Amino acid sequence: MPGSIEVLHTDVLVIGGGFAGTWASLRAADLGASVTLVDKAYVSKSGASTMSGGITTCPLDTDDMDLWAREFIERGDYMCDQRWTYQLLEGQRERVKDYVRWGVPISRAEDGSIRRFASRGMIDVRGMQYQPKAAMIELRRRIVARGVRILDRVHITELVTADGQWPSNGAIIGAVGFNIYTGQFVFINAKRTIVATGMIAMKGTHRVDNDTGDGVAMAFRAGGRLVDMEFTFGGTFNVLMKKFDFPSYNVAVAHGARLINARGERFMEQHDPVRLERGELSNVVAAFAKEIVEGRGPVFVDLRHVDASYWTDLAKLHRGGSILLSGHVPDPRVNPLPIEPTWGLWASGRSGLQIDLGARTNLPGLLAAGSAAKNDATGTHASAGSPTAFAKVSGWHAGETAALESRQTDLESAPQGLIAMLQEKALAPLNRARGERSADRLHDDLARLESSVVKSMILSEGRLNELLQGARDVAGALDQTAAGDLHDLVKWHEARNVSLNAEIVYRSALDRTESREQFYREDFPMTDPGWFCWHGVKSTGEGLAFDKQAFPQEGARFLPEHQHSGLGPIGAIMSAKHQPAKAL
Amino acid sequence: MSVHAISIDPATCTGCGLCVLACPADVIRMDAASGKAKVVYGGDCQVCYLCEDDCPAHSISLSHDITNPRRYSIYDEPGGTF
Ligand SMILES: Cc1cc2nc3c(=O)[nH]c(=O)nc-3n(C[C@H](O)[C@H](O)[C@H](O)COP(=O)(O)OP(=O)(O)OC[C@H]3O[C@@H](n4cnc5c(N)ncnc54)[C@H](O)[C@@H]3O)c2cc1C
Ligand code: SF4
Ligand code: SF4
Repeated sequence: MPGSIEVLHTDVLVIGGGFAGTWASLRAADLGASVTLVDKAYVSKSGASTMSGGITTCPLDTDDMDLWAREFIERGDYMCDQRWTYQLLEGQRERVKDYVRWGVPISRAEDGSIRRFASRGMIDVRGMQYQPKAAMIELRRRIVARGVRILDRVHITELVTADGQWPSNGAIIGAVGFNIYTGQFVFINAKRTIVATGMIAMKGTHRVDNDTGDGVAMAFRAGGRLVDMEFTFGGTFNVLMKKFDFPSYNVAVAHGARLINARGERFMEQHDPVRLERGELSNVVAAFAKEIVEGRGPVFVDLRHVDASYWTDLAKLHRGGSILLSGHVPDPRVNPLPIEPTWGLWASGRSGLQIDLGARTNLPGLLAAGSAAKNDATGTHASAGSPTAFAKVSGWHAGETAALESRQTDLESAPQGLIAMLQEKALAPLNRARGERSADRLHDDLARLESSVVKSMILSEGRLNELLQGARDVAGALDQTAAGDLHDLVKWHEARNVSLNAEIVYRSALDRTESREQFYREDFPMTDPGWFCWHGVKSTGEGLAFDKQAFPQEGARFLPEHQHSGLGPIGAIMSAKHQPAKAL
Repeated sequence: MSVHAISIDPATCTGCGLCVLACPADVIRMDAASGKAKVVYGGDCQVCYLCEDDCPAHSISLSHDITNPRRYSIYDEPGGTF
C-alpha cells in the first residue's frame, strides 16, 4: 500500500542547499518569490560547500577585472562564454563584500586587510581563505529570516515533467522525493525549479558522500542537455599515507607546500618551473603518475617550507580534526609524508548542465547552479577558488531569474496519476525481496571503477569500454536490488544516478577522439582543433545524442592566437615534452 | 577498536540531538529508549567532524584508523613503493 502524497506549492523550488542553493534561495526570496529549499541532509551541514577547503576567488574594487578575466579565459583555453567570466568576477566581488559585512571569519594580514594569495593555476588572479562552514550557517540563518521554507532530510528522486514524459517536450513543474526519516512522499509543485545538487562523483571516494550527481542525472532523464561530460574526469591530492584525508591541497600549495619524489627531487621543476605544484591540477597529477610509473615513488608532500600562517589558519579556519597535527602521523613540520591523488568522477564545474547567463537550462522551467552546472566562466581550467565563486554567483542569478519569471507564470499541475506512479517507482526497492547485491555493494562496484590514478588518467577505447561495462552492470542490477529501509533507499537512488552519470561520462569520453587539458586518450593523444567547442549530450529515450556547439562570439573580448594542436598536456608530461603555458 | 570511525559515549551524552542534525550522512539517530544519540549507520561515516564540532558534551570521538574500502591506493599495487 503506497502512503499518502503531500503536495506543496511554491514559486521557486531549489534542490540542494550548498552555496548555490542557499544563494539562489536568498536572492529569490529577496525578490518576493515564495521559495522552498530541499536537501537530503541538513542545510548548512551538507555538501561540498560546507566541506570545502575555504579558498574563494577574491576580486576587490581596486583590481583590474580585464586582467583577471583574461587570465581565466587564456588558462581555460578560451573554451568558455566570456560574458560569464565577467559576470562571475563582478558577482563574486559583491559576494565577498557580503561575507565581510556578515562577519564570516576570513584570514587577514597584520594590518587587518584580507590576506590574498595567487590562486593555484594562476598568476594574477587572487584568492582568499575563509571559513566555509561559518558562511553556510550564516546563509541558513538569513534564508530562514526571509521566510524560505526549508525541507531538510528530503531526498529528491525525480523532476516532474508537465507532459509526463522522460525525456520531455514540456516544462519542468517541480520534483518529487521522500523524507528519509518518515518516508512521507512529497510533490513540490513549482513555477521554476533550480537544480543545485552539487558535484558528479562516486559515493565514498571523496568523502562528500551526498554529492552523487543526482540533479544532473535527473535533469538528463527529463531531457536536459549536459556538456563536456568527459571533462568530469578529475581529482586532487587528497590521500595521505594511504588512508588519511589530506586537507585541501590548494590551500597547502598556496602556502608553499611542495611535492618531492623518493629521491627528494621537486619533480614539478621539470614540467612547470614558474607555477610548480601550483600549476593545473591535471598536469601535477600526470607528473605524479609519471614518477610512480617510472619507479621514483612514493611522492611526498613536503610541508617543511610552508609559511607560518598555514599552521595558524589550519587551527583557526579548519575543522578541528585535521589529521596533520593530530599526532597520528609523523610531524609534518619536519617529515615529508607520502601523498597520492584520486582521479575519476569529480567535476566542480568542468561538466554538467549547460546554463545561459540567467542560469536557465534548455528545459523550460528548469534552472541550474553550482557544480551541477557547467561553469562556463572558466573553460577547461578553473583556478582554486573559482568553483565556490561560481556556486555563489550562478546561484544568485538562478534565484533572480526564477523569481522574476515566476511572476509571469501560473502553476501547472501534474497529469492525472503521474505523481502516484512516481511514488510507486521511487519506493519500489523497499518492497523487493533481497537480491544478490545491496545498495552498498553497488556503490562498492562503482567506486572500484575509479581504481588506480594511472589507469583512470590514461584512457583508451579499450579502457573506456571496460568502465562502461562496469557502469552498465550496476545499472542493470538496480531492478534486482532491494532497499532494507529508507536510509538504504537513499543509497539505492544514489547508485541509480551515479551509474547513469558514469555511463554518460564514459560514452562522452569515447565520443571525444582527441586529448585536451585534463582529458587524455592514449589512442588519440593529439589535441584536435575540431574539438574546440562545447560537447553536448541529451537523452533520446533510446540512447544518447551528441552534438558540438561553437563558443559564442558575442561579448568575446579575447581571441586565441591559434588553436591548440599537437600532443595534449598529459601526454606531453608523460613523454617529458611538456611546454608549460607561457606566463601572462 | 570499534568497527566504525565514530563512537558516542552514552555516559556523557545529554541527548540534545545536535549531532543528529549535523550529520550529513544520516549516521546518527536518537534512541527512543535511552533518549541518547546512537550510531545506527556507522559504515556511512565520512569522518567529516561536523557532529564532533557541534557536540556540547564532547561525547563523540572519531578514529583516524578506519580505512575507507572505497579508496584505492596506488602504493598498494604490486611493486608499490611504500
Ligand atoms: C573536499 C573539497 C574541497 C573543496 N575545496 C574548495 C575550495 O577550497 N575552493 C573552491 O572554490 N572550491 C572547493 N571545492 C569545490 C566546491 O566546494 C564546490 O564546487 C561548491 O561548494 C559546490 O557548491 P554547490 O552548492 O553547487 O554544491 P554542494 O555544496 O555540494 O551542495 C549540494 C547539496 O545538494 C544536496 N543534494 C544532492 N542531491 C540531492 C537530492 N537528490 N535531494 C536533495 N538534496 C540533494 C546535498 O545534500 C548538498 O547539500 C571543494 C570540494 C571538495 C569536495
Ligand atoms: S563524522 Fe560526519 S559523517 Fe561521521 S557521524 Fe559525524 S557528522 Fe556523521
Ligand atoms: S550532540 Fe553530543 S550530547 Fe548531543 S545528542 Fe549528540 S552525542 Fe549526545
